Amino acid sequence: MDPVTLAIHATPAFVASAVEFVEATTIVLAVGVTRGWRAPLLGTVAATAALAVIIGTLGVAIVTVVPEHLLKGVVGALLLLFGLRWLRKAILRFAGIVAIHDEELIYLRELAELRAQGLRRNEFDWVGFLVAFKAVLLEGTEVAFIVIAFGAAGGVALTSAVVGAIVAGIFVIGLGVALQKPLTMVPENSLKFGVGAMLCSFGVFWFAEALGMTWPGDALSIPLIVVAFLGVSWLAVRMLKALLPEGAQLEARNV
Amino acid sequence: MFKGVWATLVGLLIEDGQLAIGALVALAITWLLAAAGGDQTQEVVGWALLVMVLVLVVANLYRAGLVARARVSSARR
Repeated sequence: MDPVTLAIHATPAFVASAVEFVEATTIVLAVGVTRGWRAPLLGTVAATAALAVIIGTLGVAIVTVVPEHLLKGVVGALLLLFGLRWLRKAILRFAGIVAIHDEELIYLRELAELRAQGLRRNEFDWVGFLVAFKAVLLEGTEVAFIVIAFGAAGGVALTSAVVGAIVAGIFVIGLGVALQKPLTMVPENSLKFGVGAMLCSFGVFWFAEALGMTWPGDALSIPLIVVAFLGVSWLAVRMLKALLPEGAQLEARNV
Repeated sequence: MFKGVWATLVGLLIEDGQLAIGALVALAITWLLAAAGGDQTQEVVGWALLVMVLVLVVANLYRAGLVARARVSSARR
């Protein structure tokens, strides 16, 4: 596979995974800054190892045992369910009904909570370890899910999705280490909007394929489906803004 | 960790329950269409699923908007 083809195929997984890595990095940074780096780094390594074991055993077992059309059907249904949840939340955020995801605010909240829990100098920091472990494991599971979504066709698609996710991890973690502060410059809310639409689109695509449908142009139908989801989402944002009286968006969040 | 997994499940099935149930119904209808229809039906089930899901999203959000409007109105009173 030439680098250009790889880059094109890996981009969706890169973008979607980057969002998850940003969230995990924010938590690990907050723990490291307040409680020292040893425990959160160990928590991160432990969660990465746990993820590798889960993906290695469950993933391989599922791919080798479950027939391909059934796998596509199950993956498609799950992608649609999770994608719809992301998309719904993103639409509500853009309409002002749910507060925008703010990494700076999450970081500060996490700092305050961790400081309030105190730290004993001579003991291993289990709080820091567990907070980092949980964040990396949960966000990592979502990355695994994203890789499965974009790589469900196997072969080139799977390799590209894995490469996209790994590059996103290296990029985001590198940025976090270099800056030592939350990555607020990443347009997370817009990306989540796009990722929600992409997950839903892949869900519809795989589920219909599992039922025996041949999409016109095969994978070329996916951008069309994404456009349909984005278009309807944009209309939904407009509809919600029109439903709420002027200036009521902030009130809707707080009641 | 379990708390996080639990929160995700609760969020999916309760908080966004109607959307999740609606999506499951749409998937079931699509499966029935593909199973009961002929070859021609099988070639359009994906588009049928897409349309059902898009209608579902708009309907669910319209309801969410109405709930938010009602909450704002009662809070202002």
